[in-house]
Amino acid sequence: MTSPQGVRAQGVGASLLRKEDARFLHGRGRYVADITLPGMLEVAFLRSPVAHARLLGMTKPEGAAERVFTFADLDGVGHIRAVSGLPGFRISEQPVLATDKLRHVGEAIAACVAPSRACAEDLVAACVLDYEELPVVSDMLSAGLPGTALVHEHWSQNAFLETTRQDDLSELDAIAAAKVTRRLRTSRQCMAPLEGRGVLVEWDPRLEQLIVTTSTQMPHVSRTGLAEILGLDEGQVRVIAPDVGGGFGYKGILLPEEVVCAHLAIRLGRPVRWIEDRLEHLTANANCREHHYIVTAWADAGGRLLGAEVDATVDAGAYSSYPFGACLEAAQIGSIFPGPYTLPKFSFRTVSACTNKPPILPYRGVARTGVCYALETTMDALARKLGISATAIRLANLVPPEAMPYRNLVGKVFDSGDYPEALRRAMASVDLAGIRARQAAGECVGFGLAVFCEQGAHGTSVYAGWGVPIVPGFEQATARFSPDGVLEIRTGVHSHGQGMETTLAQVAHEVLGVETARVRVVHGDTALTPYSTGTWGSRGAVMAGGAVAEACRLLGERALAIGAALLQAEPGAVELSGGAIRRRDGGAAVTLAEIARTWYRQPQNLARDVDKGGLEVIAGYRPDPDTGTHSYACHAVTLRVDRDTGEVAIEDYLVVEDGGTLLNPMIVDGQVLGGVAQGIGTALYEEMPFDAAGQPLAGSLADYLLPGATEVPDIRLDHMETPSPWTRFGQKGIGESGAIGPPAAIVNAINDALHRFGAEVLDLPATPARVLAALEAAR
Amino acid sequence: MNRSAISLTVNGAATTLEAEPRTHLADLLRGGMLLTGTHLGCEHGVCGACTVELDGAPARSCITHAGACDGASVRTIEGFAEDAVMAALRAAFTAEHALQCGYCTPGMLITARDVVLRLPEADEARVREEMAGNLCRCTGYRGIVRAVLRVLEQRRSAAAVA
Ligand code: FES
Ligand code: FES
Repeated sequence: MTSPQGVRAQGVGASLLRKEDARFLHGRGRYVADITLPGMLEVAFLRSPVAHARLLGMTKPEGAAERVFTFADLDGVGHIRAVSGLPGFRISEQPVLATDKLRHVGEAIAACVAPSRACAEDLVAACVLDYEELPVVSDMLSAGLPGTALVHEHWSQNAFLETTRQDDLSELDAIAAAKVTRRLRTSRQCMAPLEGRGVLVEWDPRLEQLIVTTSTQMPHVSRTGLAEILGLDEGQVRVIAPDVGGGFGYKGILLPEEVVCAHLAIRLGRPVRWIEDRLEHLTANANCREHHYIVTAWADAGGRLLGAEVDATVDAGAYSSYPFGACLEAAQIGSIFPGPYTLPKFSFRTVSACTNKPPILPYRGVARTGVCYALETTMDALARKLGISATAIRLANLVPPEAMPYRNLVGKVFDSGDYPEALRRAMASVDLAGIRARQAAGECVGFGLAVFCEQGAHGTSVYAGWGVPIVPGFEQATARFSPDGVLEIRTGVHSHGQGMETTLAQVAHEVLGVETARVRVVHGDTALTPYSTGTWGSRGAVMAGGAVAEACRLLGERALAIGAALLQAEPGAVELSGGAIRRRDGGAAVTLAEIARTWYRQPQNLARDVDKGGLEVIAGYRPDPDTGTHSYACHAVTLRVDRDTGEVAIEDYLVVEDGGTLLNPMIVDGQVLGGVAQGIGTALYEEMPFDAAGQPLAGSLADYLLPGATEVPDIRLDHMETPSPWTRFGQKGIGESGAIGPPAAIVNAINDALHRFGAEVLDLPATPARVLAALEAAR
Repeated sequence: MNRSAISLTVNGAATTLEAEPRTHLADLLRGGMLLTGTHLGCEHGVCGACTVELDGAPARSCITHAGACDGASVRTIEGFAEDAVMAALRAAFTAEHALQCGYCTPGMLITARDVVLRLPEADEARVREEMAGNLCRCTGYRGIVRAVLRVLEQRRSAAAVA
């Protein structure tokens, strides 16, 4: 649909500056901790000091019986159950406050309530805990060994799930020109959004409704989960997600703390609030990324992969979190390990180990970051063994553009793109000869690559098979005009940095031609928005974007019929363009704002047979097929390693990526850049070590290192734009992409620098200590 | 617990508040004064989200005792409405897409304003070093660094013309 000159720059493809910035720049963002209510009580949780113990009792502080609550005090509250339909899945029940056992450090045992958080913490300090320690399962690799203590005593083994696939790889040893085996490990991380979690709950006696204001990525899913566990009708729960200070997966969960606060708000008749502090985040919620791999791969002399075998273990922690469960990550390894390559044979075994650690949650990139690390470092090891370049081995295996759409051996369907071209473009923009010359001159510099693709916005057909509590279906959006002609978009996803208040307005503008300044995007409130599974899985742009476009299209049809009648023309003689219904013969026009005014305020001017639905439309959208879009990227890193200190300095970081049609290129850049910064953290800095007793060892951000402005370079970005054939505008999900490639590309570059010294780094993060240890081992 | 009176000037207005001795400045501002633009990211002095201007210099309000601020002058993100440097930084932050979730933004802006005023000749490396005490989990810093450099450049050109 064409728009008049000058207005065009607001639609799909425009780098429109963000509508949401102003409130944040003036300190007027409204996060949950900024909201107070009269009579509000604050909660502090007594948390487990040990990783595994039998809970024998807890003595409340004197006189505090009505201010300290244990599970026994919460009548009628159920346990959190996130069951998977995958065969063999072992079910865990997560009590919202510990009952008979303590299963990880930081597990909540009691809620202490006071007028201020400080006084609530005083109560926590005065509680006396009685427990008997049990042997701790702190290592995912030995968790399954016979004789190990059981985290859930009715289980036969400390594993939520095991998955396998068996191809016949027996001939490969005989025919391969090279075979490599690597044992690789990624460390446990904290997602560390700058704002932690937090929830404020009040009970509205008039509506008989809980109003739950919580820092979540998925308000509707939280509502479903809360209603179920509290035994309320869903209509009795309203979840509001206000401004949220970063999510990354950390806020894609139904929290025990939310359940407890909700119960207390009803019971006490007072608003109740809990705000997570950083110590709680680090010690009770280090919950992602811990993978271990043994990878074997075979290739012919030209570098063509002949097959791969993977044994992967993921530390899933103590419980299965709602809604995604404990095994999403490990089981996903089996389906995504072939990466962007045409792998002919593949066997795997994956284990979701159950340990005395916080329950795993899918962090930006989910299993892909670990898988990309395992696969891409293995590719480089093969290339070195064959004496071919990292580029050559990848070009020999990447899915070629003429094969798109391509279904790989595990059934993943890649929608579109030119993967080899991404690699070629990256190489054209890097001075590899210069790097080789510096190496020859004795400098410890290295160059590393990672090529990968990211499935995003995958829907019903994919998740139905997982059998998790929430399967995404048709994404819905509401589009409606208010009487003054302002267009209101209501969406059930949540924007917490992704800029959807801007991009969804751009989509609406693209379809209806309404100025983005006159489009209001409403999100983050179950009372105001249609059901959605929320913001995760790189689905916002594709799913909410598609739904908004469809709702606007239908709204445009309604407006067109009204406009035609006002213009006394046949519907076929008018068209919608530039925010108005115009006669095709160039005659009169009536603006959408006038049409809105007519519908609401001058109905006497409407035709008798007008569509009684008026100017409010709810529409559903799902791409067909809904197997997901595949964005892809090549990351190329040049870095220096200091052989005396083990420190790594990134000299150049290049990303060539393809997210299909970009709704707003500036915002996509921002997503990629932010993702890369997190990936650099995974690669070089971030690690939550646990000791053998299951104690987390990094208790502050001075110990758990997040990359700062001096650690993240000025990343170079280059876009390709191959539209997805399956989505409304050709857009692809790309929100997680940046965080996937860095560990692989960075460690490949480190190993490119170190291999002349016979050293190789295998475990993440590649801290100075690990780099030095690798050099030492080679000596 | 005892509460004691603290008199200070906040965003130009003299005020007296009561607080427990253990209260930190951020809680005093956010709680008693409803100045919620000052954010808390760690409460142990590392992330910089709580940065305010204390007697003319940036300070971490989470590790500043409220009681120690008796007689002090504090400016929070809400207190820069008339400030030309802050206005330029705000415009540059939007133009360079230097914010996503917005949680680090108030602290970033206050630190950035100090850098711009104190180090008019700062280059990219220096800006990165100076901003390294403010963590952002969303943006990867490129937009933030470019925004600060943009304002520095604007001010240098304006000075050259004058
Ligand atoms: S909250 Fe003060 S430095 Fe993090
Ligand atoms: S914009 Fe989210 S922490 Fe900086």
